[in-house]
Amino acid sequence: MIKDLPVVPSAKAGSMAAAPAGAAWREQHPVIGTACNQCLECTLFCPEGALVQTGGNMTVMLSLCNGCGICAVECRLQAIAMVREYTGVSGVFPLREEKV
Amino acid sequence: MTLSIKDLPQEDLFGPGNAGCRGCGAAIAGRQAMKALGPRTIVSIPASCMATLSGSNQRTAWQVPFYHTLFEIAPAVAAGIRAALDAQGIRDVNVVSWAGDAGTADIGFQSLSGAAERNDAIIHVCYDNEMYMNTNGQTGSQTPLYAITSNQRKGKQTCKKDMLAIMLAHGIGYAASASISHPLDLIAKLKKAAARRSFSYVHILTPCYRGWGIPTDQSVAVARKAVECGLWELYEVEDGVRRRTYEPSFIPVAEYLAPQGRFKNLTADKIQEMQDAVNRYYHREEGKA
Ligand SMILES: Cc1ncc(C[n+]2csc(CCOP(=O)(O)OP(=O)(O)O)c2C)c(N)n1
Ligand code: SF4
Repeated sequence: MIKDLPVVPSAKAGSMAAAPAGAAWREQHPVIGTACNQCLECTLFCPEGALVQTGGNMTVMLSLCNGCGICAVECRLQAIAMVREYTGVSGVFPLREEKV
Repeated sequence: MTLSIKDLPQEDLFGPGNAGCRGCGAAIAGRQAMKALGPRTIVSIPASCMATLSGSNQRTAWQVPFYHTLFEIAPAVAAGIRAALDAQGIRDVNVVSWAGDAGTADIGFQSLSGAAERNDAIIHVCYDNEMYMNTNGQTGSQTPLYAITSNQRKGKQTCKKDMLAIMLAHGIGYAASASISHPLDLIAKLKKAAARRSFSYVHILTPCYRGWGIPTDQSVAVARKAVECGLWELYEVEDGVRRRTYEPSFIPVAEYLAPQGRFKNLTADKIQEMQDAVNRYYHREEGKA
């Protein structure tokens, strides 16, 4: 019977999101400015699904973002700026000259 | 009814944490496609970048079952999954074989042709980065004319094989081309394919920054230029009726070709040759860009 087949080991659904590779080698990340009109178009172009609308606002999930910069290029309102940074185990460090 | 972004599910059934290169067009295609296919979907993927970036051993970037198959057999595995579902009386599942251009048009072609000829109720998606990227970008039948690849430094000397024409020659009910630059068009086409219970074929242009020699932030922009210059036509053939789903604005083909490293050897003559071919194809007046 098909239903009697043994259960083989398999990965837990979506488990790569827990330790994303890309975020570790990111060199820049998007910052969403006030010009954003919540059109959501960038959400369909991000390879990682790092852009999400929460509570009516666009947010970047930095744990997923790999810094490709597509969202900043695709935004029709130029509402997204890419900010250079280093990432490391202790978090996100903007380059000194870009600190405000 | 036209689709709107606001109607799409926010949930990602593929994507978060995938190990693709920065700006990977294939990963973008996967995310967009899963907005159409939904949670009742099973995917089989042969050796390729998509298999590598979306799982390894005990981890996966999919929320749906994903089988990593041998190179030659993704459509055959999908057909087998469909048969097993049928045997169990399960009817509400989309079965998708998702392969690169080599897994579709070259190394995987015999099993694809077999599934199409048997009219197995699966959707085959070709994500086309126009090279064998997972093994460092060799030439394949989907590499376009004159593109430089890792094993053809002078550029390819023959044309890209027309996969939609070949698949349509199998008498299949639905075939479409798509591009990651036009996600709503792509999603609408996959929804159509999923609503049918017969073999469908969807061919998606998915630029790859490494193979194409473009900055990582240009993957979507360059795919859009491919559509707008007319070199990548967006169309579908549904039960024998062909429809262009997007009218290009006919930017000069040079705007698409020139920024790409893989076309750096192109001379003005060759660019004109490609412009003339586009003009002829769309019955546009000579000289008009
Ligand atoms: C039978 C067999 N031949 C060769 C390989 C090595 N191989 C793995 S992926 C790949 C290229 C895949 O190219 P494509 O299908 O275009 O997908 P892409 O990696 O470009 O996304 C090759 C040649 C293999 N795994 N199996
Ligand atoms: S930079 Fe790339 S990965 Fe990061 S949020 Fe933008 S599109 Fe997504």
